[in-house]
Amino acid sequence: MGNSERRLRAEFHGSLVILALVAALPLVLTSVYWQGVVIVSLYYALQAMGWNLVTGYTGQMNLAPAAFAMVGAYGVGLLSHHWGISPWLGVPVGVAAAAGIGLVLGRIVLPLQGAYVALTTLSFAEILRLVIGNSYSVTRGDLGLNVPTVFDGRLPYYYLMLAVVVLVQIALYALMRSRMGLFLQAVRDDEVAAASRGVSIVWWKTLAFVVSSAICGLAGTLYAPFAGLISPELGLILNTGLVVSMVVIGGMGTMIGPIVGALLVYTAGEMLREVGDYHLIVFALLVIVFARFFRGGIWGLLQLGADRLPGRRETGAREG
Amino acid sequence: MTFLKVKGLEKRFGGRHAVDSVHFDVAAGELVGLIGPNGSGKTTLLNMLSGHLAPDGGTVTLEGREVTRLPVHRRARAGILRMFQLTRVFDRVSTLDNLLVAGRGLGLNARDALTRARALLDELSLSPVAALDAGRLSGGQRKLLEFGTCFMVPPRIALLDEPFAAVHPSMREIMGRFVRERHALGQTFLLVSHDMPVVREMCERSVCMNAGSILADGNTEDVLNDPAVIEAYLGGEAA
Ligand SMILES: Nc1ncnc2c1ncn2[C@@H]1O[C@H](COP(=O)(O)OP(=O)(O)O)[C@@H](O)[C@H]1O
Ligand SMILES: [Mg+2]
Repeated sequence: MGNSERRLRAEFHGSLVILALVAALPLVLTSVYWQGVVIVSLYYALQAMGWNLVTGYTGQMNLAPAAFAMVGAYGVGLLSHHWGISPWLGVPVGVAAAAGIGLVLGRIVLPLQGAYVALTTLSFAEILRLVIGNSYSVTRGDLGLNVPTVFDGRLPYYYLMLAVVVLVQIALYALMRSRMGLFLQAVRDDEVAAASRGVSIVWWKTLAFVVSSAICGLAGTLYAPFAGLISPELGLILNTGLVVSMVVIGGMGTMIGPIVGALLVYTAGEMLREVGDYHLIVFALLVIVFARFFRGGIWGLLQLGADRLPGRRETGAREG
Repeated sequence: MTFLKVKGLEKRFGGRHAVDSVHFDVAAGELVGLIGPNGSGKTTLLNMLSGHLAPDGGTVTLEGREVTRLPVHRRARAGILRMFQLTRVFDRVSTLDNLLVAGRGLGLNARDALTRARALLDELSLSPVAALDAGRLSGGQRKLLEFGTCFMVPPRIALLDEPFAAVHPSMREIMGRFVRERHALGQTFLLVSHDMPVVREMCERSVCMNAGSILADGNTEDVLNDPAVIEAYLGGEAA
């Protein structure tokens, strides 16, 4: 077994433990408000997982995850608003729309490098948001769209969102264990070298964009009926910033970082709500500190701590 | 049919010829040295053979199939494997996984890639660092690793750009032995090197470039004793 397989497995199992804790949480967390906070954290966790695939693992600085969540949400919202179609049927449509737009965006940024990918995806995200915000007759613009609920109460949403996070995590784990995981990381580290070893960077980068966009879109489709009202604000760059900070703080390019980061950052933000938007400054500073000094995020720090424990030394450097 | 045929290959950078209508053939199983002073166009020529640069003119044909316009990854799968003068490895994946990228990229299944990678790690004395991220290897180990990725699947032809430069003698010895052994088994190489004793010892035939053109092509001893070649090297050193 390859070394990255062992690393992946540890991260994947760690994430399952965290998600199991989240599943048990409503036993003690009976506040409907805080259950809602966890639901929104999981909504962000999905976006973070999607973003991590294309940016953490593939190295393409995509600044459009929130825009794709918005696309997914509007897929559900528009079908329901105009044709009275159930949100359940809107989910595959919203996901397909996000994936299709992701395909287009992926093809556009394919020949671009570094900062140009960031700038292009950022502009693309803003254009999407402005189009939705200004297509009054279709989307009702900034008024937003009402989306019918699909459940009574909070807990069904809670467990639906959690179940989807688990399923997507399992799917991502399978993807990363396949040759796709190797190829994406090779593309991230050196595109020229990857192509020189037979890897079609066009194909794998495009696929990473499509899958990532679909996951972000899926997040939006599930969020819409939970929130009951969606607006172009879902696609704000601020929300993308939140996704980025979650992954960087949790551990970029790891299976577990996006989930840990989303839960921590979003709930911390809620706790700090009274102090106004200052918590955003704190997150921004944390992102800088982590990006500069702790590239592995919280997960990386935990690993470092574990490696220092007596008896664990050097095990990482030995091949089994 | 010629194994590798290079016909009239040329490349200009801003009007200046880096490679100027270069013709040469490589026969199957040959180990050809490509020499020439700094800036004579060796790396540019390799870039056109591997697909990293589109030529301004000329063709590259491998076993009768024209590959001149084939993209890099398809050329790699066609068996043209290339090692860069400035080492390129995947820094944030392990040494073993670097080899697996090449194995899977070139079409091996997971099991065969792993078997092959383990054998290469042993042969190149990289087994002790198999689990380390390649970014943590020494310069020489990185070079050995990139060298290894060329041989995950036996290439039709291996293009090696200064593999022995700035490498610890023990590692140079490992690579040198590897090249000689594979060559004895019929592996075809094009070897760019500055190191005249190495070229003299390893290559029966050498091609010498100067200012983008081929100055001499033939028996290595004859090429190295060619007054024009000596002149080019002295001129290069004086510059
Ligand atoms: N990408 C490039 N852009 C402009 N000039 C280049 C480029 N690559 C190489 N050259 C020039 O082409 C000539 C040949 O370079 P190169 O092929 O690297 O020589 P060698 O490998 O024999 O030292 C040199 O004059 C070099 O400066
Ligand atoms: Mg060179």
